[in-house]
Amino acid sequence: MYEEPYRWVEAVGNRRQYLDEQFKQGSPVVALSYDGGILLTTVSKGTPKLYEIYDRLALGGMGHPTDLEKIRFSLLEMAHVEGFNRSPSDVTGSRLVKYGIAPVIKQAFEEVYKAPFIVRILVAELGQKPEKDALLTINYDGTFEETTGRAVLAATPAVQTKMMSYLKEQQPAPLSLEQALDLALRAWAIGSLAHQQDEADQQAEAKPQTSNAASSAAAIPSSDTLIAHVRSIAGERTIECAILERQAPGSSKYRSLKQMDLSRLLPAALQSVVAN
Amino acid sequence: MGMQGDFLQLLKEQGYTLGASTAVGTGHALTNATTILAFKYRDGVLVAGDRRATAGNMVMYDRTDKVLEIDRHSVMAIAGVPATAYEMVRVLEHSFKYYRRTQLQELSFDGKLRAVSKLLKENVPAALAGTGAVVPVFAGYDMEQGSAKIYFYDILGAEFEAVEYAVSGSGSPTIRGILHYQNTWGEQPLSALPEEQAMVQALRLLASAAEFDSATGGVNREASLYPVIKLITGAGVQTVPDATMKPLYESQVVRYV
Repeated sequence: MYEEPYRWVEAVGNRRQYLDEQFKQGSPVVALSYDGGILLTTVSKGTPKLYEIYDRLALGGMGHPTDLEKIRFSLLEMAHVEGFNRSPSDVTGSRLVKYGIAPVIKQAFEEVYKAPFIVRILVAELGQKPEKDALLTINYDGTFEETTGRAVLAATPAVQTKMMSYLKEQQPAPLSLEQALDLALRAWAIGSLAHQQDEADQQAEAKPQTSNAASSAAAIPSSDTLIAHVRSIAGERTIECAILERQAPGSSKYRSLKQMDLSRLLPAALQSVVAN
Repeated sequence: MGMQGDFLQLLKEQGYTLGASTAVGTGHALTNATTILAFKYRDGVLVAGDRRATAGNMVMYDRTDKVLEIDRHSVMAIAGVPATAYEMVRVLEHSFKYYRRTQLQELSFDGKLRAVSKLLKENVPAALAGTGAVVPVFAGYDMEQGSAKIYFYDILGAEFEAVEYAVSGSGSPTIRGILHYQNTWGEQPLSALPEEQAMVQALRLLASAAEFDSATGGVNREASLYPVIKLITGAGVQTVPDATMKPLYESQVVRYV
């Protein structure tokens, strides 16, 4: 029945609705440039969401863990085969995303007989020079965007915009790693609070129009409130941080920050969360 | 899930082959023209190699790097046909990285050794044909056991653990004897040498090899050409800079008779 164009469009529309629903419980991901490279952070539950892809490439994701694994393996395969056959400097985030993984995600999304990938991903690339750093995001339908300086993944475009504008507003250039981590976690909290708000609005269901307007218009909470939110959530979850470090020795620039690093780098109010 | 994390397998699926025999080979006079050595010292393991590449009696190049870092804790020193050896190092480097990144854990030291063996075994046809024999020394720091290890191989991929030291290449017969003598009757066994003395020892050994083997390059001070020495400890691989070797060489290796 999908042979009819109308049916197909309808099926794709349903799929979009279904997928949007899947990300509501997800934890946002924030990527931010700092003076020594790029920082990725999220607060995860159970399965990690930040990974190393290649010498200068990192992956952050939202969505179904198994789908994220599939995407991760495809990226790893492509990157390593290319790096071996050509050279490590030919493995670029932009090629991997645009000609590698985005078409695969788009195809899975449009083949309405098959299951789509329930993922939103972010690929961070550390360039040879800071001005060559790139952040790429791909949506579940294969749409990709390339930015520099900052990028986020969140449940809805509205939340993403909110987080991005907060990052833009707050970011004095360039940040140290501590400052970047502090800011990234506050941006994460904005995203996480917005997810909770959306959820609450949906459950209230009374006057979705006005409450929606109210939540989006609501003032950005203070830094302390945001950090307190991270604190309340991080107790039963894990603050996950990874960096692509320009000055790291050797060819692999990716390093995930261990508890020891975090207890030194996190804002004072959060240090007790990692300590225990 | 059986072969997950196996980079060589992935390459093969894409049609890659290592060391296909290229028929020609009747001449079995393999030129392993080089000298490489590895020995355990107080803090870990030292791996060194001269820098000469030869073809017959022609010196091809005097700045070859035969001691290659595969990852943060392992090094392969190569003797034999450079084309194949460099290719193997590239495969290994990518294999270890690929394993670590896909499986989210470091490949064990034994796993790394096995990977070297497997590559050498795949290379047997080329090795026997005379176009691709490689006789490497693999050294590294086993993080799980907290100890330094040295292994050497024959061209067919058999792996032997060296208790104290290993040598390979055309200059190796000369220094093998010296190593044995030093280690048995010297002032102290090699494994007790502090870092600086270990470096001096390596420079002297390579100078001896160069003395008796025309295919081993010595030190060329005019051109600031020193051997390659790498130290592997729990902290990782460290390449000794020329600036460190120069004074050591001048004060403790050169003898003006």
